[in-house]
Amino acid sequence: MMMAIESRRRGRALGKGAAALALVCVASLAAALPLLAQEEHGEGAGGGGLFAINPGLVIWTWVIFLILLFVLRKWAWGPILGALEARERRIQEALDGASRERDEATRLLEQQRKLLDESRDQAQQILADGRKAGERMRSELLEEARRQREQIVGNAKEDIERERDQALEVLRREAVNLSISAAGRVLELEVDSSENRRLVEEYLEDLARESGREKSG
Amino acid sequence: MMGYAVFWLMLAQAGHGSQGGQDMGAVWNSHMMEEVADAHHFIIPGLNRVIDLPQLPPIHIGALSVDLSPTKHVIWLMIAATLCALTLIWTARRTHGKGAGKAPKGMANVIEAFVIYLRDEVALRNIGHGGERFVPFVLTLFFFILFMNLLGLVPFGATATGNIMVTGALAVLALVAIEVGGFLHLGPRAYLKTIVYVPEGLPWFGKIPMALIMTPVEAIAKLARIFALAIRLFANMTAGHLVILSLVGLIFMAGAGAGSIKDVVWPAPVLMAVAIMLMEIFIALLQAYIFAMLTSVFIGLVRHPH
Repeated sequence: MMMAIESRRRGRALGKGAAALALVCVASLAAALPLLAQEEHGEGAGGGGLFAINPGLVIWTWVIFLILLFVLRKWAWGPILGALEARERRIQEALDGASRERDEATRLLEQQRKLLDESRDQAQQILADGRKAGERMRSELLEEARRQREQIVGNAKEDIERERDQALEVLRREAVNLSISAAGRVLELEVDSSENRRLVEEYLEDLARESGREKSG
Repeated sequence: MMGYAVFWLMLAQAGHGSQGGQDMGAVWNSHMMEEVADAHHFIIPGLNRVIDLPQLPPIHIGALSVDLSPTKHVIWLMIAATLCALTLIWTARRTHGKGAGKAPKGMANVIEAFVIYLRDEVALRNIGHGGERFVPFVLTLFFFILFMNLLGLVPFGATATGNIMVTGALAVLALVAIEVGGFLHLGPRAYLKTIVYVPEGLPWFGKIPMALIMTPVEAIAKLARIFALAIRLFANMTAGHLVILSLVGLIFMAGAGAGSIKDVVWPAPVLMAVAIMLMEIFIALLQAYIFAMLTSVFIGLVRHPH
């Protein structure tokens, strides 16, 4: 506040000084005019010469110039210079905006490219993963199928073996019974039943052993 | 100027009949002075009608008697100022307001180019920091002087800048702008130093004689610049017109000569008059530019003393 008042007072003092100075400038030159005019008259050149001294014309020039300065300042220089500055500012803004937008566009393009690269990588990854999973699944299925087949075949073989052994057993027993009943019928009394039975059974044992050897052979 | 001269000369020739070259030379001589010098009557362009301008009683200010009656050059000052104002206000209308958003074109663009050049290269460059305040003054100075200069080249026109009183008055305005601009920028102490020259780094017995010798030199330098400004513009405009008028006179002198001279010699002054006329158009621009330029340079010199 104090400083503002101080600077205003200084400004006013400076203004007074400037006005005084302007007056001194004008007055010192105006003082020269009568001297020149006297010299002119002394030579008797009169009004119409090339160097005619006419203070009135000086005043007219000042008045006309100052009016022109005022008029132009108000209605010409203000608008023209204002429009020029506005246009310069507008052009500068447009240039700044263009450069800003170009940077933005470059940045976006870069981003887009990165995104594209990333998605391509991802697609590749997904494809590879899928292929691997498919491969694994196929091999698992194959393995499973093989194992199942083997199991089925193994089971069947076992079943057949067992059925055959059972059939042989049954057959053998049947044969023994048949033989005994047949032989009993033939040799009824002749042969001690228990002795013969032992013989026949031995024989049948031999038969079975032989057939077993044959089978293994 | 020229149109009236030719018209007048034809009349003069008709009046003088066959009196011949010698008389005509003398008549032309006085006519040339009449063209260039100021007068208390005004000739309406193209009509050859003379109006006697009103005579006012002189006002006495001390030893100085000021005669404020308008003269021929006052009328041409007013015409120049009016044309200047109309042209520039028209330009302002074209560039401002309605035309603000449009790209500049045509005559408004030409004047705008002048304005931009004067603002950037003449005013701001030479005045330096804070030069914006002087831009309207320098621009007005340039365009006003340009219009006055060019009006002298228009048929029936006259140049107010061919009068030492007008150029002197403009130079005094420039002086006021230069000194007051410097005073406001530097403050009283520093401004005084631009007149009273005290060299740095000298003992007191060196400073005093230097100040005594250099102060009048500095003061005279300030006035000499302004004097040169006034004389340069006045001399250029007057000399140019006198040369053109002489060459135009020469055309008629050749025409009034003996048979063989008449038929052969006339193209020479015609060509020369045309060439000087073209040069004068350039000089009209150049002198307005120099006046504005030097005023800016001097304003800058006072504001930034080394």
